[in-house]
Amino acid sequence: MFLQTLITGLSIGGIYALMAVGYSLVFSVLNFSNFAHGAVIMLGAYVGLALATKLNFGFGLVLAGSVAGAGIIAVLNEKLAYSSLRRRKAPSLYLMISAMGCAVFLENLVYATIGSRFYAFPEFFGRQVVTMFGSSLSLLDVGAFLFALTAILGLHLFISRTRTGIAIRAGVCDMTMCSLMGVDLNRLISIVFLLAGAFAGVAGVFLGIKYLVYPTMGWVTNKAYIAAVIGGLGSLPGALAGGLILGVVETFVSTYVSSVLRDVFSFSLLIAFLVWRPNGLLGIDSEDKV
Amino acid sequence: MRKTTVLLGVLMIFALTASAMAADVVKIGHTVSLTGGASMWGQSEARALDMLVKKINAEGGVLGKQIEFVRYDNRNDAVESVNVARRLVSDGVIAVIGPAQSGNSIATAPVLEKAKIPMVVTTATNPFVTIDQKTEKVRPFAFRPCFIDPFQGTVAARFAITDLGARKGAILYDVGSDYGQWLAKYFEEAFIAKGGAIVAKEAFRTDELDYRAQLGKIKDLAPDVIFIPTSQKEAAMAAKQARDIGIGATLLGTDNWGSPDLIDLGGSAIDGGYFVNLTDLADPDIQDFVAEYKATYGEDPVLPNPVMAQDALIMIVEALKTAGSTDGEKLAEALANLKDIQVTSGVLTISPEDHNPLDKPAVIQQVDVANKTFKFIKKYVSVE
Repeated sequence: MFLQTLITGLSIGGIYALMAVGYSLVFSVLNFSNFAHGAVIMLGAYVGLALATKLNFGFGLVLAGSVAGAGIIAVLNEKLAYSSLRRRKAPSLYLMISAMGCAVFLENLVYATIGSRFYAFPEFFGRQVVTMFGSSLSLLDVGAFLFALTAILGLHLFISRTRTGIAIRAGVCDMTMCSLMGVDLNRLISIVFLLAGAFAGVAGVFLGIKYLVYPTMGWVTNKAYIAAVIGGLGSLPGALAGGLILGVVETFVSTYVSSVLRDVFSFSLLIAFLVWRPNGLLGIDSEDKV
Repeated sequence: MRKTTVLLGVLMIFALTASAMAADVVKIGHTVSLTGGASMWGQSEARALDMLVKKINAEGGVLGKQIEFVRYDNRNDAVESVNVARRLVSDGVIAVIGPAQSGNSIATAPVLEKAKIPMVVTTATNPFVTIDQKTEKVRPFAFRPCFIDPFQGTVAARFAITDLGARKGAILYDVGSDYGQWLAKYFEEAFIAKGGAIVAKEAFRTDELDYRAQLGKIKDLAPDVIFIPTSQKEAAMAAKQARDIGIGATLLGTDNWGSPDLIDLGGSAIDGGYFVNLTDLADPDIQDFVAEYKATYGEDPVLPNPVMAQDALIMIVEALKTAGSTDGEKLAEALANLKDIQVTSGVLTISPEDHNPLDKPAVIQQVDVANKTFKFIKKYVSVE
């Protein structure tokens, strides 16, 4: 039972990490929690679902389409809802409120246009179960976990090795200075949202396949937000670590304490971190932000 | 001159329709989930009622008056259901059909009871819809045409033991739902009474998506059957996750599974699962209804709600005829004493003691994914 719990926990944590990355990316540059991220994940899932059911695309194309779709939606979201606030140098609280508004708006938009029905993705891989040491998990979970790790590693390399990545990191340090040095800030921020949206697309497809697709599915990102806080908002390795830790802790609480107490535990953890270690495990002191 | 005549004629028609609308109408409330997770059933329920009321009105209505529905969306939410009930009271309805869910019905009952307006719920199967849990007395204004959960839980347990040969059972239920919590209890009691053992009883919270932690625990105890008294969404996810971690046990569910999208949502994982339902599309008693619905709307009704809602309307109409008045107390008394009336699902008698129907049958259906249908397995009229 111990091993099964651990494996399940890691698999849940992998998805949390995938979602937490989106929060962390935006937070690191714009210093606000983009609560519309959950809605973008939801829309990404719907894009993937449409490609899979209406056009009968295979898994690879569905994933690519969803990544592109959610990426564009995230960029549009920034252009329409955040950029004017940003230009007027509004405090980040305003951006956060705008993000919450976007989340509610997008959810209700889906309710009004597509409806409240639940949808499932077609079964791309059949039900193959991998068994090791008497514990089982599906092949899809293994794939999703490895994919999440690879994607996060890829993003890490992108940010630490490429010119655009260096520009993003410079923006994280000091936006004004960065723009004085000739970096196009609007373009930079669009790239950040495009990346966050791409991760939302991946998360949306995996969530949709694992669970179901429906308008409020983005709410599960509350957990990803906790994961981002535990790891340290704004830190990519932190988002990964936070996601995995939260997934494993939750599963152990469900198994050995009580499944009903699981969320009490998760949110207590969030409060504890905010009180005693607001920068999370791997976050850097917020006084002189990264 | 001619103009005046025309004008007078128009005025008279207006006056006539206006008086027809004011006096010759019986307003019946309908509280239903038109949006939210249960909207599939809600929409179908509304259609079936509209279809039936057209027929009744064409035949002259009831008490010489036309029936008019006042319909509000309760969004499958208990708080919203109470708001809807209050609005219906202020709209002056004489009776209410719905809600369809036990939790929403239990929330609605006191509001309508205070206003002395009878309610006939459609598919709310929890005993405490018609019985007040605190006083353990029957609620004078609450009625239903469907079976109740102790019966449903017993049917499920008996089927598991005698037909599936199960000895070890496990339960996975939603701790936030009246429906799930009580059915888990009734199944557990009946399963143990019939000689089985419940090896695990695991709960999850409403809106939770991942049950693998709970299922992992269940897997270790190797039950023969897992009882999952939830709606189709949770059942589909539980089935997928159970198969993912290598659980092979038979899955057993309740009437909330009975939505056509169970098969789309659960895919191969839910194949072969059994569940208890109120009606079956193949039930000979409802063939006329199914054909009429299909002819009108071009698709199968989403059972069982449309059938139960029609039963509820017929109960109210028959009671209005016996009572000869729209007075709430007289109507409630007539509802409590309905005997052998012909309803859409068959013949119905209401027990005056608990306002539940007598000998309401339950069917067992099996999920057949390859043919995208629910196979009729057997029918229980009583379990003793």
